[in-house]
Amino acid sequence: MSYTVLAAVSGLSAASDSGDGFEAPTPEEFYQPLFGSGDFSFTRPMALFAISAVLIAAFLIVTTRKAAVVPGKGQWITEQGYNFVRNGIAQDIIGSKEFLRYVPLLFTLFCTILVNNLFGVIPPFQYPTMGRVGFPIALALLVYVIYQVLAFKRKGVIGYLKSLIPDGLPTAIVPLILFLEIITYFVTRPVTLALRLFGNMFAGHLLLLLFILGGEYMMFHADGIHMKVFGAGSYILAAAMTVFEILIEALQAYIFTMLAATYIADSLSDHH
Amino acid sequence: MEGTINLGGNIAILGYGLSAIGPGIGIGLIFAAYINGVARQPEARGMLQSIAILGFALAEALAIFGLVLAFVFRSA
Amino acid sequence: MHNIATAAVAVVSEDKVGERPPIVPHLGELIFGAVVFLALLWVVAKYVVPKLEQAYAERTAAIEGGMAQAEEAQKEAEAAKAQYEAQLADARAEAAQIREDARAQGAQIVAESREQAGTEAARIADSAQKSIEAERQQAAVTLRNDVGRMSTDLAGRIVGESLEDETRQRGIVERFLAELEAGQVTPEKVGGASSGDATVAGGSPSAGGATPAGAES
Repeated sequence: MSYTVLAAVSGLSAASDSGDGFEAPTPEEFYQPLFGSGDFSFTRPMALFAISAVLIAAFLIVTTRKAAVVPGKGQWITEQGYNFVRNGIAQDIIGSKEFLRYVPLLFTLFCTILVNNLFGVIPPFQYPTMGRVGFPIALALLVYVIYQVLAFKRKGVIGYLKSLIPDGLPTAIVPLILFLEIITYFVTRPVTLALRLFGNMFAGHLLLLLFILGGEYMMFHADGIHMKVFGAGSYILAAAMTVFEILIEALQAYIFTMLAATYIADSLSDHH
Repeated sequence: MEGTINLGGNIAILGYGLSAIGPGIGIGLIFAAYINGVARQPEARGMLQSIAILGFALAEALAIFGLVLAFVFRSA
Repeated sequence: MHNIATAAVAVVSEDKVGERPPIVPHLGELIFGAVVFLALLWVVAKYVVPKLEQAYAERTAAIEGGMAQAEEAQKEAEAAKAQYEAQLADARAEAAQIREDARAQGAQIVAESREQAGTEAARIADSAQKSIEAERQQAAVTLRNDVGRMSTDLAGRIVGESLEDETRQRGIVERFLAELEAGQVTPEKVGGASSGDATVAGGSPSAGGATPAGAES
């Protein structure tokens, strides 16, 4: 354990002790406190999350401070992302009547998740913040609170429950459907929203870790020529997986934002 | 022990493997339908894409549950 | 780095946070994440989105304001284009006209020169034929005169007296020549020639003015 933590802290380079054979990377390696201890220790993902927030805020403010009718280069980049969230997600899903109120939330969600996910493969950071379940839960909790509050405010308790039941359902199965829908709306949705992001980032990064550490072990610590070949193959696979991982990271940012918009739209609409 | 690779495992991870079968098939079906739809009607691509991604996310949730539960029961 | 690592190891051995199943959140991270995200959301909502929306609105206004101008410009451009197209069509028609003219003119020149050459050739051939004919005729006349004179001379010498009667002499010679040309006289020995001559002379005494050679030409 001590060696793997060391390895992870020093940039995932050192493999486990050569005397012990290969130790597969474990989920524990994602816990990397910088100082403090216990539940309130300041961890590496916290630092990264703060850095990402500062970077995003600085970039967005700098590129939009002098927002012009004819955009410059930076403003153009920001506007591409903003357009994508505003028109591609918010307007399409929530509808052009009320979407503008939720654009800041969705845009911030998208930027935050995208940047933090990409931290998983960008060299100086190389740690997917969303691979620590606390962050996805924080974001999902926020979305959850917003869409539940919206639904209750719009429809009232009774109206909300009524809106969960599709029209024209036989009375006999209404309680069953209601139960399932309540589970869906109050449990499944937020949990999957958080865990999908977490699971993808966590598993993806663990996989990369496994390929890189395994490759290194076979390359430099194991005996035999064939092990060197396997190690090289492992490295090549790791490179390919990294490219795939970038795709997944962007896709997950899109999915999270889109699902948040979908849930909000569900709360705003009268019908099921 | 020198030079050997010990890959330990846990039965819970097998559970994850099983739980990934269904979503895998489901995601395949979703994207097959999406590709079909786009091939028939390329102008509907934008609309179909968000629906396909939504379906993909919903199907994937099951696999995510499997992964998470694998870790939960592994330490139990 | 080493210090941090040892600290980390110490922490891990101290408490069990690192060994929790990965889906149990680290409370600090959860709270920190929420706070930082809310701060970022505030920044975005306060400073970024309004600017972008403002830019959008301005752009929309600019586009709508520019719309009239653009329409004007488009009309102008269309007028210019129509004019240009008309000019182009004119020029094209003119060019076609010129080409057509040139072609017609060329054809005419060719026809003319062909005709001219034809007439010239015909004229040359005609005049050549005429001069040939004239020469032939002249030669025939001269020959006839010579033959007549010579034969009368000879006949006169043979007979021993000059054949004075021009008219008769001429008539005889002419008749002989005509018969010769018609193939009625076959060459004979000199001995029988006189009797032949006599028969010829007796057979057709009145062939006088007829000039078969002249008629044949």
